[in-house]
Amino acid sequence: MKDQTNENLEKLFSEFLPGEDARQAAEDVQKGEQILREHPAPAPAGEFLAGINSKIASVLSAGKPKTRKLVTYRVAAVAAAVIITVAIGVKFFEKGPAETQTPVVVTLIQQAVWEGEDISADQAKLALLTDALEQIEGEILALRLGEDGGNGDGESVELEMELTDIGGDFWKG
Amino acid sequence: MAERENLDRIIAGCKSGDAGSFSQLVDMYAGRCYGYFYRLTGNRAVSDDLLSELFVKLVEKIGSFNSGSFEGWLFKVVSNIFHDYLRAKHRQSRLLEAQKGRLQSNVSEPKADSDAVDRLQLQLDKLDADTKEVIMLRYYSQASFREIARMRAEPIGTTLSKVHRGLKKLRELMED
Repeated sequence: MKDQTNENLEKLFSEFLPGEDARQAAEDVQKGEQILREHPAPAPAGEFLAGINSKIASVLSAGKPKTRKLVTYRVAAVAAAVIITVAIGVKFFEKGPAETQTPVVVTLIQQAVWEGEDISADQAKLALLTDALEQIEGEILALRLGEDGGNGDGESVELEMELTDIGGDFWKG
Repeated sequence: MAERENLDRIIAGCKSGDAGSFSQLVDMYAGRCYGYFYRLTGNRAVSDDLLSELFVKLVEKIGSFNSGSFEGWLFKVVSNIFHDYLRAKHRQSRLLEAQKGRLQSNVSEPKADSDAVDRLQLQLDKLDADTKEVIMLRYYSQASFREIARMRAEPIGTTLSKVHRGLKKLRELMED
């Protein structure tokens, strides 16, 4: 692979380094990139690229296939939001035992994730999502039961981070 | 100039939903994008998956490319896909760790291809993840340092410094 940037590296480095150091830095970069050129990464197999082209053709011919999946994700995201709400409720507002709340959430997750008709198209991601939600459910139960040695605040932050992380993936589509 | 016009024509074809134009895009960029994924993951199967995901994503996203450097835009998408992969891998590791006691899982994290790894790959893995990534971004996107700095939303001095130190260290490792 050729260097096609045509940048004057020495001039660029000279904005930050004195003359001789800039020249040396530019040389270091050029020599380093030469090593990368001398050791090319493997190329994708021809059949694999043909498979990608077929996949693209089928996506194009399918028009806009993402709507249902997006709906599934959004419903699942709502389920996740319900979980965090319940978690916060359990953590900060619960005065006594409230056994009826968590089972309602569990039912909601399962319905939300598995109601879609196009699940096979994204089975791996949905399985991962289900696992994530199940783990969160477990953490909520642990919070309720005080199994984490009283470190409730840390767990809440962890839950929030996890949901933000998962939520970010949903909305990216 | 003719090259740029040709690329513009291909992109216009992609935007209009022409499979042939996408096929040309695959021919032009699959090798570089695959190289980027492979050098960062060291695993061909994972690189295959990420490359496939990339081009399907491009079908959805090509309409959002308006002007400027197509390669800069493309490698921003490539980089986002790699970061999504890292996040999913991290999440999966945590889930597996958390459920280790409860489940006898046969799911394992993808590892580097041990028999096919070349010497460069071994030495690259000795660099820190961010340095390795910026070096690969620079090399495979063929973007200027200013573009790379923009893509990574960091000052150009930071980008220059990371690439310089990383490549210098890589050369030393390769010469050992």
